Amino acid sequence: MSKKGLTRRQFVKAGLLTGTGAALGVGVLKPTGLWAAPAKIKGPVKVGYQAIMSGTLAGYGEFHKMGVVMAMEEINKAGGIAGVPLEVEFRDSTLKKPQAIQNARYFVDSWGADFLAGVDSSGQALALAPVMAQLGKPLMVTHAATEKLTEIEVYKKGIKEIFRICTPTYQDGNAAAFVAQGLPAKKWATISPKYEYGYTCWNMFKDTLGKLKPGVEFVAESWAPFGTTDFRPHINTILDAKPDGLYSVEWAGELITMIKQANQAGLFKKIKHIMLPVGAAMDVLEGLGAEMPDGVWISGRYFFMFPNDQRNIDWVARFRKRWNHYPAYVSETGYSAMYAYKQAVEAAGSKESNAVIGALEGMKMGSPAGERVFRKQDHQAMYEVPWGLTTTNPKYPFKVMGKQVIIPPSEFFNRPPFEGPNTHPPFKG
Amino acid sequence: MNSKGTHAIYLAIILGLAVLGLVADRFVLYMGMRVMLLAIFAMGYNLLLGRTGLLSFGHGALYATGAYGMALVNLHLTPDPLLGILAGVALATACSLIVGFFCVRHTEIYFAMLTLAFGMMIFSLIWNLRELTGGDDGLVGISRGSVLGLPIAKDGQFYFLVLFFFALTLWLIHRLRGSAFGLILAGIRENNQRTSFAGIPVKSYRLAAFVISGVFAGLAGSLGAMLESNTDPFSAHWSHSAEPILVSLIGGLQTFSGPLVGSVIFVVLREIIQRFTQNWMLWFGVILLAIIMGMRGGVMGGLEKRLKRGPAPAGKGEGS
Amino acid sequence: MLQSIVHVCLAGLSQGMFIWLVASGLTLIFGVLGVLNFAHGAFYMLGAYFCYTVLASLGDNFWLGLIFGPLFVCAVGYFVERYFLRYVYHLDLPYQLLLTFAFVLIFDDLVKIVWGAGSIGSPTVPGLGGSVSILGRMFPTYSLFIIAVGPLVALGLWAALERTWAGRVIRAASSDREMAAALGAKVPLIFTGVFVFGTWLGALGGGLAVPYVGLLTPGMGEAVIIEAFVVAVIGGLGSLKGAFLGALIIGLLSSFGTRFLPTFDMFLTFILMALVLLWRPQGFFGEASR
Repeated sequence: MSKKGLTRRQFVKAGLLTGTGAALGVGVLKPTGLWAAPAKIKGPVKVGYQAIMSGTLAGYGEFHKMGVVMAMEEINKAGGIAGVPLEVEFRDSTLKKPQAIQNARYFVDSWGADFLAGVDSSGQALALAPVMAQLGKPLMVTHAATEKLTEIEVYKKGIKEIFRICTPTYQDGNAAAFVAQGLPAKKWATISPKYEYGYTCWNMFKDTLGKLKPGVEFVAESWAPFGTTDFRPHINTILDAKPDGLYSVEWAGELITMIKQANQAGLFKKIKHIMLPVGAAMDVLEGLGAEMPDGVWISGRYFFMFPNDQRNIDWVARFRKRWNHYPAYVSETGYSAMYAYKQAVEAAGSKESNAVIGALEGMKMGSPAGERVFRKQDHQAMYEVPWGLTTTNPKYPFKVMGKQVIIPPSEFFNRPPFEGPNTHPPFKG
Repeated sequence: MNSKGTHAIYLAIILGLAVLGLVADRFVLYMGMRVMLLAIFAMGYNLLLGRTGLLSFGHGALYATGAYGMALVNLHLTPDPLLGILAGVALATACSLIVGFFCVRHTEIYFAMLTLAFGMMIFSLIWNLRELTGGDDGLVGISRGSVLGLPIAKDGQFYFLVLFFFALTLWLIHRLRGSAFGLILAGIRENNQRTSFAGIPVKSYRLAAFVISGVFAGLAGSLGAMLESNTDPFSAHWSHSAEPILVSLIGGLQTFSGPLVGSVIFVVLREIIQRFTQNWMLWFGVILLAIIMGMRGGVMGGLEKRLKRGPAPAGKGEGS
Repeated sequence: MLQSIVHVCLAGLSQGMFIWLVASGLTLIFGVLGVLNFAHGAFYMLGAYFCYTVLASLGDNFWLGLIFGPLFVCAVGYFVERYFLRYVYHLDLPYQLLLTFAFVLIFDDLVKIVWGAGSIGSPTVPGLGGSVSILGRMFPTYSLFIIAVGPLVALGLWAALERTWAGRVIRAASSDREMAAALGAKVPLIFTGVFVFGTWLGALGGGLAVPYVGLLTPGMGEAVIIEAFVVAVIGGLGSLKGAFLGALIIGLLSSFGTRFLPTFDMFLTFILMALVLLWRPQGFFGEASR
């Protein structure tokens, strides 16, 4: 870390100069980390990473950092990327769009980043798409889930700089519908966040489940604003509608609060089938401990028990040794994002943007989450994430997945061109 | 400082910024635009706060109406930037008229709370009218087009449009402050009753100040939407209204140049802190504390005091 | 239907009493010191964290946490008033607001640094962790407890202000600073005392919130402070009676709104806030606030 501190001080000095230059109106300072000849790999590979590191969601930033720092340490210990070291710089994205854009511009134009990664908020990811096209550097999204990013910005508008390594809303909406198809529940209701993510997922779930299982009813919706601390009125709404299935894409702290309050209201005794698309997040499982009921369907962007192969088991063990913590899903996506860049740079023999983008398109990579393939048309990584039923396991101080269901991504990911017949699941043929 | 000297300084600043626009790299250009936009926002705002003595927590929402007005015209009607800006400013003006009409009935904390309430109503509308505003995703894909045949798509080109509006704002606010209107506003701040006994319709003047500051908030908002090529619902949140207050306080409430200097300090300081640490809120808070405790008249107020060697026009004595 | 209405009512009451606990300190400080304290939400957060730390280190005893946790926050409140806020009382409104705002930024990040960025799940309260059946639907015992604590705090505050010597001095100092000072009251000392007491109320609200919200996160005060502002304003700034009523109204409005108006939003609460400010800025009880 001390070596990193030194480089950090160096670029801060350069940054101070450009900053004061702006203030005095005399600065004629070009960015210091400019790469004159992009042909061969020289100097370190620099990745600018932004995630939310302040406020109520700051825990997610920590989880991102754990995965990324670990990847950096491992890569550099094993000889770096194509022989040169990997350098990562972190910035707080907050939730505001101008901050995300300022970060991206700083990374590329001032710090001299080769690649960017991170981003939690969907709104920020959408705002960054045209900026990345202008800056001409790839951005690997590791958390923001809006399908609009890959369907519209990448596929339709042709912004090829954007990639996404985590599962999008398809996992939360479409895959959930495939699981719900097999459940005896006929009447579904939702308590979900009162913003685009909540609306999108619920609509996707309704649409797909309606096609898979004609006759299901959707009987109640209760939308909880960002920052809700009291879910009781919402829980009352749901109980009054008497559904036999509850679907909720509440996440992070608000999901913890909702589960605790639903427990107190006896909701889990009245409603047998519960689906929580982001319930398999480590902060939620650890925050709830024994208070998470058994027999609830949960999923996420990655779960540390899947796949049950040597690579993943080893990784989880190394992660726990390094951080004394089970990896959260953003730890895995952050970690794998670094390895995706490593593999692409080494395949391209260059860290020049177009070469790396070319290498990433259609690239297959092994990762703790299993094999990922970056779909060429929309730059979306296709990989398997389980849906599972919560169960008590004495080996863990929190609930884990017991029975798991895996739906192949090709069956439930929307397909290009994303409009017209046979682009939304269920697919014919 | 005499007025000729002042004019020379401002001319030099604008010329300096123009030269910067020709030679600076992309990041400095971007940060320069951020500073100018914040300065437009804050200079207009300080007409209300510093000049008239009214503290508003609703100007973030007026900034946002400018941005959304611009974006809606840009996405649905015409990519012409000037028409877009016109629409943004018009929408912000209309909103400030309505909001201002109700709010100027009160002063002090009641005024602040009323503007907070109206601002949060606008925030809530932007968040929930998803078909129109894109909800929390905001509106994306705003294009810049060209002004009078001159392309402004590139940052280096757009910079000069921002600079033009910045210079225009500087000139307008300067003229306003020196005018009879500006002096009456200052009179209202110093003594409500005396001004009103002098036969001046205090509420109308307050409303005028509110609307004028709203116009500049809308201008900054519509330019901001073009700069970032999107709109952000959080720009309507009350916490965004704190920005021009901070900027005015840092630079100096009672000075013309205060918001200008404050904007530079605010943007550059935050950027520098973020290069050192992800705990930027902590350090930003500490510095803010030092500024409030140490320099009551703001940076420019302190400077003026030094130059004049007279008493500084800091806080107005015993607060209500 | 009856079952539903009763439960929505109960949920609204507990929500209202919970906001009242936070808004009471805010209102008291405004009433006496004339300062609208943005940092009150941060004190609420600090209260939650200190209570949690005390209870975790004293063998998971919730009550010990609730007694000792807020005392640490009082020390923080003393520091803020004595060394910072005191010097801006005579300045314009923006200075006071931004001073407290600066403390919000500082405390939010300090909590993140000291207690970690991630959320912390809260333990349940012994004896109050369960639920009781009301008309065939379960309602948490802890929420009933909050519904009872709210009026108790209100009663205690009323008694302290109306029935004790200290209360009379405080009321005198808040209605006329100069007069009280001339009569020999140590106004700065009273101000410090009231600020620390208001801080204690905020911290107590935070401590009581831990089992209610179910977890602690840095920045958890931000969601609460605006609600408390709304309540303080609706009640007439500085009026404790008004704040109590305001909290009840906001709690019930948001509970019934969420249940029966699908489009319900904070929009309505802000309309209510604006209407009250325009129609009766002095609040329901017509008390001159200062």
